[in-house]
Amino acid sequence: MTSFFGRLKGNTGPASPSTTAPVKKDPNAPQPTPLEKLLVDAGPIREDGSDKFFGFENVSSSLLTFSSYCNSIIQCLYYSVPFREQVINFPSRSPQDTLNRSPSGLPRINTDIGGVTSNGTLSPTGSKQVLPSPAQASARKSSTTPAALPGQVMKPEDNKDSPEYKKKVAMATGPILNMDYENAKSYGMSESLFTSLKDIFEAIIAHRSRMGVVSPHKFLEILRRENEMFRTAMHQDAHEFLNLLLNEVVENVEQFSKKIESTDASSATSSSGFADAVSSVLTSIVPATANKAPSLSAGWVHGLFEGTLTSETRCLTCENTSQRDEAFLDLSVDLEQHSSVTSCLRKFSEEEMLCERNKFHCDNCGGLQEAEKRMKIKRLPRILALHLKRFKYTEDLQRLQKLFHRVVYPYYLRLFNTTDDAEDPDRLYELYAVVVHIGGGPYHGHYVSIIKTQDRGWLLFDDEMVEPVDKSYVRNFFGGENVLACAYVLFYQETTLEAMQKEQEAEGLAAAHQASEGYKEATGLGARQNGTVPNGVPPIYSPTTPTVEEIDQFVNLDHAATVPLQASLAPGVNVEHTVTSPVAPIGSPKKGDITSKKEKAKEEREKKAQEKELEKQAKQKRKEMETLRRENYRKHQDEMKAAIAASKATKAEEDKRNVPNSEEEGPVKENGTNALTGSLNRFRHTSMSIRHKPKFWGHKDKSADDAKNSSVQNLINSGDTSASSSTPMQASDKAEKPNWNRFSLGRKKSTILS
Amino acid sequence: MVGTYILRDSLQLATPPPHPSEAPIHNPNPLATTLSPPSAGTKLSLTVISPRHTSLKRLYHLDSANGTRSAIPPSIQESSNETQSLGSDSSQHRANGTNGFDHTDERTPVFGEGNPSLALANAKDSKDAQKKRKPKGNIIKSNSSFVSRVIPHEALPKRLQERNLEGLFAFANINRAVQWLDLSSSIKEENLTKILFTKAHALCHDVNPITKSSNHMDVVLGFSTGDIIWYEPMSQKYARLNKNSAINGSAVAEVIWLPNSENLFIAAHMDGAIVVYDKEKEDAPFAAEDTSSEELNSTERRSKLQIRKSVQSRNQKTNPIAYWNVSNSKINGLSLSPDGRHLAVVSEDGSLRIIDYHTEKIRDLYTSYYGGMMCVCWSPDGRYMATGGQDDLVSIWSLEDSMLVARCQGHNSWVTAVAFDPWRCDERNYRLGSVGEDCRLLLWDFSVGMLHRPKPASVRQRGSISSHLPIPRNRAESSTSRLRSNSNLSATTVEKEEIIHAVEPRARTAMLPPVLAKTVDEHPLSWLGFEEDCVITSCKEGHIKTWDRPKEVTTSNDDLPSTSGSNR
Repeated sequence: MTSFFGRLKGNTGPASPSTTAPVKKDPNAPQPTPLEKLLVDAGPIREDGSDKFFGFENVSSSLLTFSSYCNSIIQCLYYSVPFREQVINFPSRSPQDTLNRSPSGLPRINTDIGGVTSNGTLSPTGSKQVLPSPAQASARKSSTTPAALPGQVMKPEDNKDSPEYKKKVAMATGPILNMDYENAKSYGMSESLFTSLKDIFEAIIAHRSRMGVVSPHKFLEILRRENEMFRTAMHQDAHEFLNLLLNEVVENVEQFSKKIESTDASSATSSSGFADAVSSVLTSIVPATANKAPSLSAGWVHGLFEGTLTSETRCLTCENTSQRDEAFLDLSVDLEQHSSVTSCLRKFSEEEMLCERNKFHCDNCGGLQEAEKRMKIKRLPRILALHLKRFKYTEDLQRLQKLFHRVVYPYYLRLFNTTDDAEDPDRLYELYAVVVHIGGGPYHGHYVSIIKTQDRGWLLFDDEMVEPVDKSYVRNFFGGENVLACAYVLFYQETTLEAMQKEQEAEGLAAAHQASEGYKEATGLGARQNGTVPNGVPPIYSPTTPTVEEIDQFVNLDHAATVPLQASLAPGVNVEHTVTSPVAPIGSPKKGDITSKKEKAKEEREKKAQEKELEKQAKQKRKEMETLRRENYRKHQDEMKAAIAASKATKAEEDKRNVPNSEEEGPVKENGTNALTGSLNRFRHTSMSIRHKPKFWGHKDKSADDAKNSSVQNLINSGDTSASSSTPMQASDKAEKPNWNRFSLGRKKSTILS
Repeated sequence: MVGTYILRDSLQLATPPPHPSEAPIHNPNPLATTLSPPSAGTKLSLTVISPRHTSLKRLYHLDSANGTRSAIPPSIQESSNETQSLGSDSSQHRANGTNGFDHTDERTPVFGEGNPSLALANAKDSKDAQKKRKPKGNIIKSNSSFVSRVIPHEALPKRLQERNLEGLFAFANINRAVQWLDLSSSIKEENLTKILFTKAHALCHDVNPITKSSNHMDVVLGFSTGDIIWYEPMSQKYARLNKNSAINGSAVAEVIWLPNSENLFIAAHMDGAIVVYDKEKEDAPFAAEDTSSEELNSTERRSKLQIRKSVQSRNQKTNPIAYWNVSNSKINGLSLSPDGRHLAVVSEDGSLRIIDYHTEKIRDLYTSYYGGMMCVCWSPDGRYMATGGQDDLVSIWSLEDSMLVARCQGHNSWVTAVAFDPWRCDERNYRLGSVGEDCRLLLWDFSVGMLHRPKPASVRQRGSISSHLPIPRNRAESSTSRLRSNSNLSATTVEKEEIIHAVEPRARTAMLPPVLAKTVDEHPLSWLGFEEDCVITSCKEGHIKTWDRPKEVTTSNDDLPSTSGSNR
């Protein structure tokens, strides 16, 4: 709710934007918002939630904490169709439950009160918390920046085109879903981020309005209660939050399934519909012959976001190649000025030389050897979350800095960095959501997301405000000098060529339709306020209820084996029982479970080790709490051992990395990391927060940088050596560097094609 | 071909400030980014009034591509008509415009020659062929609100008189300005004329190769507002076409003069329409004459050219001459084949369309690996096309085999311009260059004989498309027979799937590395051109850089006689 503008002025100093206020356009008061115009002939409300467009209140628990990082990510997840379906459908309900679940069946969903007619004061708490805050915000702003900008005659929120005004209107219009309750018990689960997220999704879907504002108090409360790092004003990082949320969801779901499993086992002949339902979920996920491991129910998060990386290390002495796999939920890529996402991903997988003090311990030769190492994607995720590492630790400043590099991203993507044996290496992805960070640095700023919705084109979600935007608006966030708003997390989802062409066709028809109506500014010089199409009609195709074609697109999305067809099911069918079975993780299911736990254990350990260097009390505390909590259900002693071993291994490896750059790191401890190849390497899974790392491994990486939980970060560390040796051209390019004004052909005609 | 390219000089065009009436609206909200007008960065149109001499060899070589390929002397470097092959991605057709003009037996068909209504106009044209007609309006004295200011160089007549006719002229756009430059002048940074437009940005331009003379040049400029200007710089005359969007309201991405035509040019509009205009005809509000294609299903719509007005239309008194809806999305690039028969069109939806524009039919439709395609050009012999796109790849396509030949990987960002280097191409070996958003210039070599890949299932028998193109069918069996399985076998029907080609998976495609990669600017590059003695690049911020070719080329002449450029 607080104005972004205010914070910006307060924090960024010289970078703060221009002085003149936007031209005031609509002097007369209640005009339909662009979103209202968009939805004017929307037809009946759908059951799957695909036609709900709710903003999220920027809940501030104290003066300095805002939740836009969280809002932007939740929106991205909500509009991921398979993710939303899975959240809604897990845990599977019994038939009785399903019958009871009419929109009003769940007493604690704020659905039917008020509606659009009332001015948004649906609940006392909602109105109390909501309405004063803009005033507070503006008061704070005007006090902190008195007459800082001479041209500014009015407050930002007085301008009807300003996001501040629009947010205020959104709050006033409502309806506000005040999410200060929890339904965890009705799901049979204990309260967690997952149940809270599910509460939010269900409330949005159940509400009879298409627009409104969600006030995610409970969710934030749980988040802040359990995660110290999100309690302070520092490090409210959307990517960190995404990673945490996905991991939490995995864990919550896993934990629950385990519980069900045990009850199921104890009462094998249980007639409880609930348990039956759950086991039916389980069997639908695994083939009946497979081991019905408790972890399987967590498969759906893995099935959506998880991919597998293979790191291949080739010893240059014995030519022996060793491989290890590890899972990831998102990829964090380093950025270069004037590059593309494609190129960042390729750099990510570039060969790296392990040499000099960074040698590799080869099992085959039995000693430290020079080696080549590269990371490739072995299993492609269905949803590829790409984190652009815009926050980089700079040593001279001793803090994180934002990189404003221009990094272009296409609407469609394929991955070049796959292994040779990868399944479907040419998989086509489409961009469906962009999380944008606005601000001059990592410690402050604002997040919004721009999301392609199922059939309403692209929408901008800026906390409370939801607005349709032009498709080309998505390209405004490549970054660049003096561009405060740049893309930070990109969500690509699996799609097909046919779906792509169908969509392009539809876009073309819509554009033609507009042209025929004399709407000619589509590609012209039309200036736009807030990126919306001037007359509020975005160039998307027919805003009607889903057609067969649209359903087809969803089917296509589900590329692999099983297909969630909920979208096509008539309302009233027991959707819950058709829980889709996403692709099971490649590794054996049992292993998957153990792995994720071990990974966590290892993560904790790694962090602990690293914290000594960074002396972050708060985080340590958080970690200890978390460790305690997690270890309550981590019973198996062997797993623990393995985890410890893995942790040691990585520590050793990191030490190894540290050596070239930091003399004070001490002697290298070379205990065969390689010995662990195969089984333990999957422990690397989740994010290791680089913030906890020593600052100097990998000199190209300029730092240990990146306060990011990056899944793979410690492995990328792409060395200069490999870069320079990869092609003769580059080598000569390098050699020429002193003389910038010339360049050489380094090779005779390279007519050899592989 | 080892050698070093040395920066000869660097020219910075000043970015004009916005017109006073178009004061920028500063919006403090970073999310409210005012959409900037479509801009392609600085591009150049190069031309030389009178080449040193017409190179018959070169012409022969190009013709041989269509005919008796095996007999050609493997040399093009003797060609000194640098003037005609100026290396812009649209330059090759210019060289060949003249080419076809000279060789009547295999001449390029004149566009719309079967249409008596057009022929009438053409006959009228040839009546006073000696004296080129100029546009009517004087651009300096114009009180049009479209043109803001025209600043001719104070010594313009003197400079024009004293300059060498072999010298290189360039037209370059930057923001709302267009500059006329003399690149062979010692004071090239002083432009010959600078035109400032009020708000429209010139995005593209082309010089008619057959009408240019020491006192006349037909330049056509396409604008972000959709307007088109026919400009004659020597007399400072101009005429405006598609005024007030009478014919098409979207920005002009590319303009190209049709080969052998004094009057006709093609403009690619960003809404996916390709329009043929006559520089001397008046605009008439355009209503589609043929809307039958609107009922087509989506596959048909993709594989057929949607003709809104055919060149065969009887009504040719006014513009447009022809109007086709080619793509549903923005057209990013356009290039005419050297023999003037085909048009290659790339668009934002990632498609490459090869259009036989004389018969108004789509011949092939390819799709990029992913993302939009940004640029396209033809090899000097017209057998290959290169495209660059948002997949960071340069892709090479074969016209006669109707297939993807290779993908070139090396750019770190989107590829914004591609061009073949005619001085480094022969009938088997090709050199091309590409520039991109990554600020780098990359050079690539490929050789027909070396291209090897598993026989793809996708090389299907081609159908009667060949009936439109009887000539190119017969050539070059020797060099490419391995790749060209059945191109001469004729079936009788054109099937859609033969027009629409599937995306080739990575595993089945040759991947080429660059032979050179160099960061040549601090800003994303937008254009690339090859000259006989240099490579020219330009960037989005108006830097034009000229790089001398390697001097030590002679070393490679012995083993690669066909690609040398040694006699300089």
